[in-house]
Amino acid sequence: MTATPSNQSDSVRLMTPAMLVLWLALATVPLWIARVGLYPYLGIEILIWSLYALAFNLVLGTAGLPSFGHGAYFGIGAYAFGLCQFNVVANLWVCLMAAFVVAGLAGALVALFISHRRGIYYAFMTIAFGQIFWTLSIKSHKITGGEDGLLKIARLPANFGLASFDLADNVAFYYFVLFVFALAVMALWRLVHSPYGRVIAAIKQSETRAAHLGYHVWLYKASIFTLSAAISGFAGGLFAMAQLAAFPDVMSLHQSGYIVMMTLVGGGLVSFWGPVVGVFLFLIARDVIGALTNAWMLYFGLLFIAIVLFRPEGIAGAIGALFEKHSAIRRQGNSAMRLLFGGGRWR
Amino acid sequence: MFDLLPHILNGLTLGLLFALIALGFMLIVGLMEQINLAHGSLFALGAYFAMQLMGSRPPFPADMAKAWLALPLGWRYAATLILAPAAVGIVGIAIEFCMRPTYGKDPLYGLLLTFGAAMVIEETIRLTWGTRDYVLQVPQAVSGGFLFQDLIWSTYRFYAAGIAVAIIGLVWLLIEKTSFGATVKAGAHDSEIVRALGINLTRLRLLVFVFGTMLAAIAGIIVAPIWGIRPHMGVDAVIPAFLVIVLGGVGSFWGAVMAGLLVGLSVGLTGAYASEWSLLSMYVLLVGVVTFRARGLWGKKSVLEA
Repeated sequence: MTATPSNQSDSVRLMTPAMLVLWLALATVPLWIARVGLYPYLGIEILIWSLYALAFNLVLGTAGLPSFGHGAYFGIGAYAFGLCQFNVVANLWVCLMAAFVVAGLAGALVALFISHRRGIYYAFMTIAFGQIFWTLSIKSHKITGGEDGLLKIARLPANFGLASFDLADNVAFYYFVLFVFALAVMALWRLVHSPYGRVIAAIKQSETRAAHLGYHVWLYKASIFTLSAAISGFAGGLFAMAQLAAFPDVMSLHQSGYIVMMTLVGGGLVSFWGPVVGVFLFLIARDVIGALTNAWMLYFGLLFIAIVLFRPEGIAGAIGALFEKHSAIRRQGNSAMRLLFGGGRWR
Repeated sequence: MFDLLPHILNGLTLGLLFALIALGFMLIVGLMEQINLAHGSLFALGAYFAMQLMGSRPPFPADMAKAWLALPLGWRYAATLILAPAAVGIVGIAIEFCMRPTYGKDPLYGLLLTFGAAMVIEETIRLTWGTRDYVLQVPQAVSGGFLFQDLIWSTYRFYAAGIAVAIIGLVWLLIEKTSFGATVKAGAHDSEIVRALGINLTRLRLLVFVFGTMLAAIAGIIVAPIWGIRPHMGVDAVIPAFLVIVLGGVGSFWGAVMAGLLVGLSVGLTGAYASEWSLLSMYVLLVGVVTFRARGLWGKKSVLEA
């Protein structure tokens, strides 16, 4: 993690060339995914989990806060989407908004209790709240359907005023998720490169220093956690649509651990795109290795150990380091790969 | 009030078991400032090894197995209490070797490494023994129950609590009253000076880690007859262990023991009135304490809070 000058021109842009390349590449996925032995639903899953991982990385990578119970907010978003659809109004935008707001409120409540803590105590408080929400979702049969989950959630049509799209088909839904994902990524990119995002990154380096510079550390920590929870909940709402149901399973400690793993394997600590890389790797490994052997978690666990040992900065970090060797390219700062993996964003 | 007595006793024995489970975790956190998330998996591994040793097909060559099976159950149990933790200790050595590059870095890396190790061990358990439940045989002397105040009490629970008290006492003596304990504590406090004094810190860390993993295995063997043996038991153990340490405060021996008792009491008492919510009570307890106390109940300053 050497200090490299951050790419000023990119960080002020709303959309970087890398994003454009990524969107175009992702837009072609439904055309070939079935031919390589995978299926369109996997594409949907990857996009939703990528959004979730990016939201999670606001807390882990940007703010350096160890949150190990983030599945709770993803799950709360999924339930909120379903319950809003059943009990309030069956409108896509309202229900997605509900997922965002309810998960954000849950996040804000937790942030009240934990934002004055650090390190192991912060980490375990997030686990404790994660377990509390998880237990509540399992035990409140009447509201959430208990362990059976909240079933029969519909993919509501996307009404844009002029035109309305039916999302029941996986390919149509894929393009809808891609559209939402693109908007959300632009928003997140702006956020982490905004003055607010810079303060958050400063808090990651040293809370004491940031406090002495006059920033209200508690408020920043609480707000980034709330925001991360809200966006995770939004992704959860999309996930409820994808699955046509909401289950307590995603809120369990295991699943919360997986999102940490995906984010770190990909390189979330050093790169904006790290979490996305990790989600791609994790979900594709799950399907490909999982098809060959039942013990895919064993092999993924070994891979994870190897990454922590030899490439602790994750895959994006490793690729970034590879490209930094070509220092001429680095100085010009126009290597497509380097842009894609945002080498040396702040450290 | 008297109706409460069984629940309080039940909670206290449960609390001693929680303290026992947390003991190895606490040693590694307190003396090495590393969070060993594989603790639960090593706990499970101890129980599985013991089950294999106590079962009808011990993992020995044929004639040795015959001689082993001819021994009385009590002898075999006593031997298992040593053999199974020793075998888990070997796994501990392997994990410690992997952990060496993470020393001195952000504690997050050690935590992640052991999370990976936990995944691998749990998956290996699933592949070797399947997902079914097993029962650990125990000698006649400590199984069964007895009558007291018109209630039937499980003998094993009291035996397990007694063992927990004994092991907690022994570990305390080792850390506080021997020169080994003094060196280890000094090593955690200022590794550079300890190294300059000519003490082999690498070996010291290895010893502490292996000792911690063996304690995990012993806890697994003691708790197995109560909780049953299944692949998930590791996760069921590591979370309370972690919770007990955070509640008691990092670096405090008696804090962890007291926290274990408190967690046991809260789980036991909630279980008596609202069994569905009994496990939730420990999280609520933790949130209640850590919201107001920065380092748990009796925690000390540690790099883990940076």
